Amino acid sequence: MSASAGRFDVVVVGAGHNGLTCAALLGRAGLRVLVVERRERVGGAADTVEIAPGVRAPLAHGIGRMRGSVVRELELERHGLRFIRPNALATALHPGGRAVRFVRDPHRTADGLREWSAKDAEAWASFDRKVRALASVMAWLHAMTPPDLVAPSMADAVAALKLGSALRGLGGPSNLRETIRVLPTAVADFVEDHLDSDAVRTAVAVGGVRYTAMGPRAAGSTAVLLAELAGTTSGPAGESATAAGGPGALSEALAAAVRAAGGEVRCGTEVRRVTVAGDRASGVVLAGGEEVAAGAVVSGADPRRTLLDLIDPEVLGPSLGWRAGTIRVPGTVAKVHLALDGPPAFTAASDGEVEGRLLVNATGIDELDLAFDPSKYGRLPERPFLDVTVPTAADPTLAPEGTHVVSAMVQWVPFELRDGSWDDAASRDALADLVTTSLEEHAPGLAGHVVARHVVTPADLEREYGLTGGHPLHAEPGLDQFFAWRPALGMARYRLPVPGLYLCGSGAHPGGGITGAPGANAAREIQADLRRR
Amino acid sequence: MGERYDAIVIGGGHNGLTAAAYLARSGLRTVVLERRHLLGGAAVTEEVFPGFRFSVASYVVSLLRPEIIRDLNLPAHGLEILPLDGTMTPLDGDYLWRVNDHGRTMRELRRWSISDAEAYEEYGQLMVDMARFVKPILAMTPPDPGRPRPTEWLPLGQMVKAWRALSNRQRDVFIQLMTMSATEFLQQWFETDPLIATMSASGIIGTFQGVRSPGTAYVLLHHYMGEIDGAFRAWGIPRGGTGGVSNAIGDAARALGAEIRCRATVGSLLVEGDRVTGVALDTGEELHADVVLSSLDARQTFLKLTPSGALDRSFTDEVGRFRFRGSSGKVNLALDALPEFSCLPNSVTTEHLRGALSFSPSVERMELAYDDAKHGRPSRRPYIDMIIPTMVDPSMAPPGKHVMSCFVQYAPYHLADGKRWDDQQRDALGETVIDTIEERVPKIRDLILHKQVLTPLDMEETFGLSEGNIFQGELSLEQLFFNRPVPGWAGFRTPLRSLWMCGSAVHPGGGIMGAPGRIAALEVAKELRRGRSRTGAGGGR
Repeated sequence: MSASAGRFDVVVVGAGHNGLTCAALLGRAGLRVLVVERRERVGGAADTVEIAPGVRAPLAHGIGRMRGSVVRELELERHGLRFIRPNALATALHPGGRAVRFVRDPHRTADGLREWSAKDAEAWASFDRKVRALASVMAWLHAMTPPDLVAPSMADAVAALKLGSALRGLGGPSNLRETIRVLPTAVADFVEDHLDSDAVRTAVAVGGVRYTAMGPRAAGSTAVLLAELAGTTSGPAGESATAAGGPGALSEALAAAVRAAGGEVRCGTEVRRVTVAGDRASGVVLAGGEEVAAGAVVSGADPRRTLLDLIDPEVLGPSLGWRAGTIRVPGTVAKVHLALDGPPAFTAASDGEVEGRLLVNATGIDELDLAFDPSKYGRLPERPFLDVTVPTAADPTLAPEGTHVVSAMVQWVPFELRDGSWDDAASRDALADLVTTSLEEHAPGLAGHVVARHVVTPADLEREYGLTGGHPLHAEPGLDQFFAWRPALGMARYRLPVPGLYLCGSGAHPGGGITGAPGANAAREIQADLRRR
Repeated sequence: MGERYDAIVIGGGHNGLTAAAYLARSGLRTVVLERRHLLGGAAVTEEVFPGFRFSVASYVVSLLRPEIIRDLNLPAHGLEILPLDGTMTPLDGDYLWRVNDHGRTMRELRRWSISDAEAYEEYGQLMVDMARFVKPILAMTPPDPGRPRPTEWLPLGQMVKAWRALSNRQRDVFIQLMTMSATEFLQQWFETDPLIATMSASGIIGTFQGVRSPGTAYVLLHHYMGEIDGAFRAWGIPRGGTGGVSNAIGDAARALGAEIRCRATVGSLLVEGDRVTGVALDTGEELHADVVLSSLDARQTFLKLTPSGALDRSFTDEVGRFRFRGSSGKVNLALDALPEFSCLPNSVTTEHLRGALSFSPSVERMELAYDDAKHGRPSRRPYIDMIIPTMVDPSMAPPGKHVMSCFVQYAPYHLADGKRWDDQQRDALGETVIDTIEERVPKIRDLILHKQVLTPLDMEETFGLSEGNIFQGELSLEQLFFNRPVPGWAGFRTPLRSLWMCGSAVHPGGGIMGAPGRIAALEVAKELRRGRSRTGAGGGR
């Protein structure tokens, strides 16, 4: 890399949390980094949105999966990040004030399960151990750059051998067999194999379908569950940790880390396209026409947008262009935020439990599957599965005193409606009504306290946040877009088919969610390449 | 003390018979024990109504391994496979038709979509390439990833070499085939909905999956396996029905010296320590042998025939986890005349009826049929794979009459709301199927002389297929290859020494393929030779 090529070694497209993570790590490695963001503020979907004057809500649900080594290396807590780690993880609400309750201490969780099944109470400790062991295999995979299956090198062969022995080390042949068997299994089958009560099974199984276009009976949903748990300390129920000030606070801390490392973050500036010189990415052209030269271009945008919108189709060629267009991005998640003029009173959840996640309409596998079915035909579920938080419960600073926020992730909301359009106010109202009705069943009177509603549909996720297809994970986390072939075979090692162009967002291994993992892994590979040049 | 054999094969289905033939061929004194009065298991022909013969359960052959046909000289024993030409999807006022004649198929597809016609060629070639790549897997004894033995992984080394020889595009497609849903995989190529639906259908036959369920694409590939051995063998029906295959293999086995006993129901395995020494029939008769091969499924073999306590709890738990989930039924109709499809009014030719007739008008209807099944209901509008065997083999019915075979999906074994398959449910299934046919063949009811309806429960009771699963266990990704039927026990061996598995329950799984029977028999013969050379002839007795 010649120093005279320009002011920047690396330009990062998009200041989402992965782009910022990648930029900060590269900056700390001594590279001169520019991050360009289309929106007026950093964060992408790791955003805190103002849903009413002075009332703020989290767009991304939590930040409990943020990779610990990134938090430490970038000193994010020094840059203003404060984690809130409620003791309650998740509480699946049932009628009649009953609930399946998961807390951080597995023994206490087990005690609570007795109300559902004595068997499950007995089995919980060993199930919890098993899931943690399997998730640790996943965490191991997440930390690595996937092997190159297209042109395997010696290093890849060694990595594969290491992987094999690491897996075997997890407890002998049976554990390795189990890992291989479990990954493609449907999560409904996985929980059925280990747990007795439908209620408990379902409360765990939701982790295998959240943010995906899969139902609980889809092959590969267990891999999603384990990926969700990888690198967390939560056990089978999944994390509930958030950032004080919402996920936007994480993004602010990351941006501060970029600046502290000598990088520059420019918001309100759209990248028009990536320039290519002699088959190599040479920089970007900004919306105003300004050209920025750099030795490497790193995209935090999703792979489809990156390959189809940012690169000249002639450079990409028709085959790759076609392949990029087939990367699956079936967005099926919406968010509904409610501002309330009083605290929501959930019949089945204590004040402590309200600080964690509340699962609504997840009382049985069949109920979950019934919520999934209509999305295949472009319709809304009658009883949508909701993953709900009350962010103001643990972080009152998000709203003026007396005002409370309920934030509902609505699963299986189609990107395109069969009848109607997300542009119609009626469709958006119908979605908000569905959510309010479901919540009202568990928090009677809640509807009467709603002072503002804020709806983010999959179409909004595409329009506002640039997520193609409205997919919050940049690409469906199916078995066909997994590990060494995420987002597609030949693109899994953070290097895209144009030399010098990298992918560092959720569309890359190990996938979506607020983890910083793809960003950190990409930074490692980019550094290695730039050193080599 | 009863009779003594070298090998006992439990079950006279096509795999049991294939195993017996290969065992006899290697000089082992072999007996096959079949519970029913006739051979074939699910590959069976029966005269259900006077003059009308049906392939009662399994109804087409595409995958019967050519090496078995060759090794056992099956044509000399009466095997003749008649080509089943094409697939027609009847639609409202139209149809979609694909035949073995490439030019005609192209013309027909162009009528629907120029780009689909072009893609069809590329797709077909790619699938043949892929089938060639995975074909060695079908002949392989799966290695155990938990305890790899170098000799077992050697063939996989060959696969790695073959992988490196693939183009990037082929590798990409291979991974997609192993992981995607049939419909999403096909949608990358095609836009014509009935075409996608009909092609997707071959990804779900016999499974409890929908066309949009991940993991169904690879079954498409399975169906191209016959293709690489020559187009003629791709799809066919044996003369005399699928029982014709079983009878030919049975004849070959007898000619090689195997003994075959029908109406011989095995009540339990005889176990001494960790060794199976023979079987006891339900009549009390005992037969002894050095090895016992079970062509039954894992549940029947390990949980019903094996005395309790003979197997580790951890192993029987694994068997208990293995999923069956029968999802299909069968309706066999005796017809007074050839049916008239409303999409072919006043047709002067009947050539459209010489192949499969696929009731798969749209992806949505296929998926809705699956939704019903997921929630424990027989599909209100099921997918039907229909053939009229008398179009190619008139001997199946009296002159001028016809038989019609309807494979029906979905008919879940487990019904919701505590319902059970009984006469009323069986009748309802039959009516649903006829209603569905009536949409395309308005006068079907006038033609029906007799009907036979098989529910998944009937398949379990008649053929011994647990939960009526036609493949002896769901073909889901986690139940294939080294996981079939139990992780760590995919190499045809079982925890009981001298007990082996040789049916569809083991790799490479179901269909009239004969591969499990053949590979298991070859492994057994190898092992016995090894044992005898170590301890001298007749060692181990």
